[in-house]
Amino acid sequence: MSCEPLRSQPVGAALVVGGGIGGMQAALDLAAGGIKVHLVEGRPAIGGVMSQLDKTFPTNDCAMCTMAPRLVEIGRHRDIEILSLSEVQSIQGGPGDFRVTVRKRPRFVNESKCTGCGTCVANCPVHNVVQPLEPPRIELEPAYREQVAGILARHRHRTGPLMPILQEVDAALHYFPEGVLRYLAQETGYPLAHIYRIATFYSAFSVVPRGKYVINVCMGTTCYVRGSQRLMDKLSESLGIKPEETTPDMKFTLKSVRCIGCCGLAPALTVGGEVYGKLTRKDVPDILRKCKEAA
Amino acid sequence: MPLKLEELRRTREQAREEARLRSGKVKDLMVCCGTGCVAGGGFRIKQALEKEIERRGLKDQARVVGTGCNGFCGQGPLLVVMPEGNFYGWLKPEDAPTLVEEHLVHGRPVEKLMYVSPESKKPVPLLADIPFFQKQMPVVLRNKGLIDPERIEDYLARDGYQALEKVLASLTPDQVIEEITRSGLRGRGGAGFPTGIKWRVCRQEKRTPKYLVGNCDEGDPGAYMDRSLLESDPHSLVEGMIIAAYAIGVARGFVYIRTEYPLAIERLRKAIASARQHQLLGERILDSDFAFDLEIREGSGAFVCGEETSLIHSIEGESPEPRQRPPFPAQVGLWGCPTVINNVETLANVPMIVARGADWYSTIGTPSSKGTKIFSLVGKINNTGLIEVPMGITLREIIYDIGGGIPGNKAFKAVQTGGPSGGCIPGSLIDLPIDYENLQKAGSMMGSGGMIVMDEDTCMVDVSKFFIQFTNDESCGKCTSCRDGSEALLEVLTRISEGKGRQGDVEFLQELGPAVKDASMCGLGQTLPNPVLSTLRYFQEEYVAHVADKECPAKVCKELIKYYIDPDKCPGCMLCLKNCPSGAVKGESKHVHVIDQAVCTKCGECLEICPPKVAAIRKVTGKEARELRSLEAPIPVKEWRARRAQETRAREGR
Repeated sequence: MSCEPLRSQPVGAALVVGGGIGGMQAALDLAAGGIKVHLVEGRPAIGGVMSQLDKTFPTNDCAMCTMAPRLVEIGRHRDIEILSLSEVQSIQGGPGDFRVTVRKRPRFVNESKCTGCGTCVANCPVHNVVQPLEPPRIELEPAYREQVAGILARHRHRTGPLMPILQEVDAALHYFPEGVLRYLAQETGYPLAHIYRIATFYSAFSVVPRGKYVINVCMGTTCYVRGSQRLMDKLSESLGIKPEETTPDMKFTLKSVRCIGCCGLAPALTVGGEVYGKLTRKDVPDILRKCKEAA
Repeated sequence: MPLKLEELRRTREQAREEARLRSGKVKDLMVCCGTGCVAGGGFRIKQALEKEIERRGLKDQARVVGTGCNGFCGQGPLLVVMPEGNFYGWLKPEDAPTLVEEHLVHGRPVEKLMYVSPESKKPVPLLADIPFFQKQMPVVLRNKGLIDPERIEDYLARDGYQALEKVLASLTPDQVIEEITRSGLRGRGGAGFPTGIKWRVCRQEKRTPKYLVGNCDEGDPGAYMDRSLLESDPHSLVEGMIIAAYAIGVARGFVYIRTEYPLAIERLRKAIASARQHQLLGERILDSDFAFDLEIREGSGAFVCGEETSLIHSIEGESPEPRQRPPFPAQVGLWGCPTVINNVETLANVPMIVARGADWYSTIGTPSSKGTKIFSLVGKINNTGLIEVPMGITLREIIYDIGGGIPGNKAFKAVQTGGPSGGCIPGSLIDLPIDYENLQKAGSMMGSGGMIVMDEDTCMVDVSKFFIQFTNDESCGKCTSCRDGSEALLEVLTRISEGKGRQGDVEFLQELGPAVKDASMCGLGQTLPNPVLSTLRYFQEEYVAHVADKECPAKVCKELIKYYIDPDKCPGCMLCLKNCPSGAVKGESKHVHVIDQAVCTKCGECLEICPPKVAAIRKVTGKEARELRSLEAPIPVKEWRARRAQETRAREGR
């Protein structure tokens, strides 16, 4: 591709397409270098996806804390012009001499005067506000439909329904399939992110499938000093999986738990609500056999 | 008299009458069906006894009762024959015929199933004569092992719900609070906040509705008193909560229980159902104008949920992270309403205080800490179990009189109280009277009451590492100081325990610990450095040995120890070789074995398996481990002995 030669004097203006965190930073850097910036953004406001995030990888920093100062600075900067609700139509020319056509959709509000107070939205007689499209309704997979719907019906009218619902769904399905979490979000009105957060916070919950038998090895202090680690190693060796993993036949999941309060029986483990105590490595095959026979 | 009240009293009288008629004629076989004993086969023993009694047609003379936790879990599964109080431990279902034949038919207690005193080696027939029970003072656990926790009649017969009757008939809410305040009852969850004051603050809040929460999210490893309480006497909690609700002016209560306690949940659920049936819960309790109902909420395995603000978030279905206090939950709690959160044990104290009076209650304990405390006595101790003792008892009494000392006559090194938030109390403070203030001064805390006994084989660096690992895992991540502070502590402790400790590490721990304490928001972060700081305070020389001499004095830290086969003692029996899981022992029959240090995983299997009379395997650490030279390769035992004899002769000849 051939480039037209650079003019001797750059025009000194840049166009940044996209007002996400990357675009914002680029605009600020350019403006700091003394270049006039046109920031084009298709949505009604800049900020992009990051404004929807709580924390960001890998530092776990609060996303808004990173973004907010940039938003403010861009809003204030004399050399940055925000073109929201706009799209680039065509680009002509080459480096140093571009000619860009931007199509700006109407906002019907004088941006230079609007303070963002929101009174117009509240008072609009026809509620003609910009609304996101209605998301498609989520239907449950038939395998879960009856169970999950029943659980929802039992608990949805309680105060603080989320935990009892999640606990029963977990007891019924042994884990949370993604579709079920999405369905619960839709039905309970909690944001999906919130439900996901709860589902991953508690150690009794899982978002990956678990085996029919969950072997919980107690790692409380007493069990630990009486050798539960060696018990865990033996189980891990016998089942061929690491702790927190599930055997490929979906029979066993190996887990460590916090004290189960059977310190008199240390070291102890539970399988499906049954407690086995005063164990040594030699007892492991017996326990596994019992479960296999029951299955 | 109002109808329901009359009915309740009639049920109670009937139950008492039944007990009177039975006594003398009918023997009650109280089989412990707490989680511990059930795991050992408690239910199977109960069934076997029932079958045997049925088979022999003794149904009129004996009754089998499944009780809650008896407390002496180390002896489980166990059985107490009432009314005499004969104690049998370590039972198996096969023992049922012997027991029925000997004890019930012939009236001869079975000696071989009795508790054997470790000192005199003689069997002790009666529960009352067993030292484990002698120094205890059951107030909260007054009904343990004496009632069927699933029958409200049993609880009623033992004066159950009489305190509630008294409250509804003759006391105003303020009088109840006054009584609790005067009794000096303090929170049993750990921090020891005066219960009466908490109630008053909430009562004085104008906003309604208000809530009451019983906290049974007993997350401390090594603590299981709340679980046992609910398993042996759930109605005492229900009664305590009704009285508390009346005093504070609450119409709705919750009990928050760990999901790891299925049996406790089951029994409490039944207790609540039968209380509702008797109109002890619901509208118009015992025909008064007072209404209160109770609901169970389960946790799902998060340690931080024991913290009250986090617990509130968990019940609400919010993300269970703690929040800043004040405002305290007594002002702004569940759904923004005033909420009292009490530990289960605290609430179970309430009926006794009301029934017997604050004056009686305040005679028990020390000036600042009143009443009794339940501890779970676990770890390296002979009599593992649950004990209830008056405040002010010394550690010596607990460990040696009740606990029966350390197994194998090893030296008592320390006791860890208060779980991951507590600290280690060293052997030198064994005469310390246990109360809130003394434990705090010693650098630990009451916590929920776990007492983990440690002997000379416990490494303090390893213990701190274990607890920091725990809190590091369980930190919710909200405060940097807790999330990253525990990470940094763990990193340094791991380094020290692996023999990679650097100069200045100990000082670093001493500096970082208080920083984490100061900067964290909730109890978890504020107390998580305690295990490190208290062990540093009393066992600093152990840390120094790890760092400076690369030595683990207790021979626990794997990277700092070696297993070594003494060639002079090894007879080449192949026992250790066959049992080594990693194949690190080299040798053949009648050859001196050698451990390949590069392969050895230091599991200790060889040391355990080596017969005591041979005792060829030793654990060594520090300088000794570095300087010990073992054989290059296995050689025949005869050849080695001959070589040694030659060496000796040569020395003597010279």
